[in-house]
Amino acid sequence: MRFRNLLFSFICILLVILLAVSFGPIKLSFIEIVKTFFNLPGQLTGPDRTVLLDIRLPRVLLAVVVGSALSASGAVYQTIFRNPLADPYLLGAAAGAGLGATIAITNSAISVALPIFAFAGAVIAVLASFFISGKFFAEPSTLLLSGIAIGSFATAVQTYLQQRHSASLRPVYSWILGELTAADWSTVRWSAIYISISLATLFFIRKKLDALLLSDDEAFSLGLNPNKLRLVALGAATLATATAVSASGLIGFVGIVIPHLVRGVMRKISNENLPIIAIAGAGFLVLADLGARSLLAPSELPIGVLTAFIGAPFFLFILRKKRVSQR
Amino acid sequence: MKIFKVSFRNFISYSAFILLLSIFTFQPAFAVEKPYQRLISLSPSATENLFAIGAGKQVIAVDDNSNFPINVPRSKLSSFNPSAEAIAKFKPDLVIIQKTATKSAQVSKQLRLLKIRTYIEKTPIDIEDVYSEIRDLGKLTGKISEAEKIVANLKQARSAALKRVKNSSLTFYHELDSSLYSATSNTFIGKVYADFGLRNIADAAAKADDGGYPQLQSEYVISANPDIIFLSDSQYGENAAKVGERTGWSTIKAIKTGKVIELPADIPSRWGPRIADFYRLIADAIS
Repeated sequence: MRFRNLLFSFICILLVILLAVSFGPIKLSFIEIVKTFFNLPGQLTGPDRTVLLDIRLPRVLLAVVVGSALSASGAVYQTIFRNPLADPYLLGAAAGAGLGATIAITNSAISVALPIFAFAGAVIAVLASFFISGKFFAEPSTLLLSGIAIGSFATAVQTYLQQRHSASLRPVYSWILGELTAADWSTVRWSAIYISISLATLFFIRKKLDALLLSDDEAFSLGLNPNKLRLVALGAATLATATAVSASGLIGFVGIVIPHLVRGVMRKISNENLPIIAIAGAGFLVLADLGARSLLAPSELPIGVLTAFIGAPFFLFILRKKRVSQR
Repeated sequence: MKIFKVSFRNFISYSAFILLLSIFTFQPAFAVEKPYQRLISLSPSATENLFAIGAGKQVIAVDDNSNFPINVPRSKLSSFNPSAEAIAKFKPDLVIIQKTATKSAQVSKQLRLLKIRTYIEKTPIDIEDVYSEIRDLGKLTGKISEAEKIVANLKQARSAALKRVKNSSLTFYHELDSSLYSATSNTFIGKVYADFGLRNIADAAAKADDGGYPQLQSEYVISANPDIIFLSDSQYGENAAKVGERTGWSTIKAIKTGKVIELPADIPSRWGPRIADFYRLIADAIS
């Protein structure tokens, strides 16, 4: 990864953020927005300032945090499982988080703790698939299959709970489709803490991760312990995913589309590009969210609908390309 | 002990001072809230209530589902997914948001930052909740006496309807949709029927859903053999003829006697003055 590329993507994301905060139902002057950020005279005042700093900015920054977490952990999952179609939700993280959220929503006493329950659900589901499949990664496909089974199980329990508590249908539905709506600073703050920790870990070990693409014997010959590496990488990626899910619900396909897109553009499969993948994911989600709040304005379109609408065809495209290349 | 020898003049001036002080201190409790003049209603029921109490002129916008009365200032604002910024664009001074809307608490917090007050509308559990919402809206819009009048009318219409039917013990099935979701006596709709003494066949499944909306099995509806069937899904194309054609349903008493009532659109789901119509319709169906 060249410094030049990193700098370029960093400038791009800043411009995307600026673009995203300039659009909304209330018209704000672009010049005044810039002046407000740089603390120059002629800033926005009164309600306009509140709209920019307390309503739009937290939402855009949450998209940055969540987008980078999902795309980076997607790339890592794809490396760990040597599977281009792996995504952050693969090991039952999404279904587990969904179940945790539903439990919180159906019990009004604990509904304020929704993010904690979603987080715990995701982590428990991943740990369960991990331990059921056997201690180490003897066979990645066993881990994937147990992830799928755990996911179906969690979804079944969730549907049962929803049927028993019909009043929870709407909040669960809107949570599942993903919501960056009404994001506030406190959500941005706590999610940024966990996600920065896991991303920093992943960035730190990113060059070693490439060894996981080789056979375990080759990894050992490079002086690395592949199982230990996988465990650290899986832990960090799951922490990032679980935090993202508990802050914003299930936003699909960011973890698949972005890593492949960056690898295609950079013409490199290496995880060296992980920071760029994270930044690209952030930019993608900010733009998707801009679409989500602009297309049906003043109403909202759930962001999960938009990312899946772009992501699913892309997913099929990769599937097809892979099939052709294997022939 | 000169201190106790307070002259009459001093006594008067001290007490006047204390009185003034206490009025000043407790002023918020005495002061009547200034009526809000630029309202946004993001609840179809609240919209109906506001127009009924004569506060329609103070309503600057309503959500995309508010459709009664016909001349409401309908906007594209969503009642389910409210956006603080989209609301703020109208420059309202009071916004009515349903508690069940997505992130209603957070949206309300954002609006407060923009110095816009919100009224969070809870889903009513019984008719008393409807009365208290109408009264609340009356206070907020300065239409207190009008609100009392609407409540009195509603009470009167309700007791008139109940008087026509003396403790009916007929059984009924209230259909929410054609996949046989129903409402138990724990719900607002269910309580309206229970007022008449009607027996709800969905109550047998009350344990299935604590929200009060269980999905019934067709076989159960047939065996429960209700005397009356109320269709609240007639606005989505269900009707008496279609219900009669369902497999095995021709043996049901309600279908044999033609007691399948197609409820008009929105009547059972709007918690406002039109509840009176709902009571009247049920009384008509029984008698």
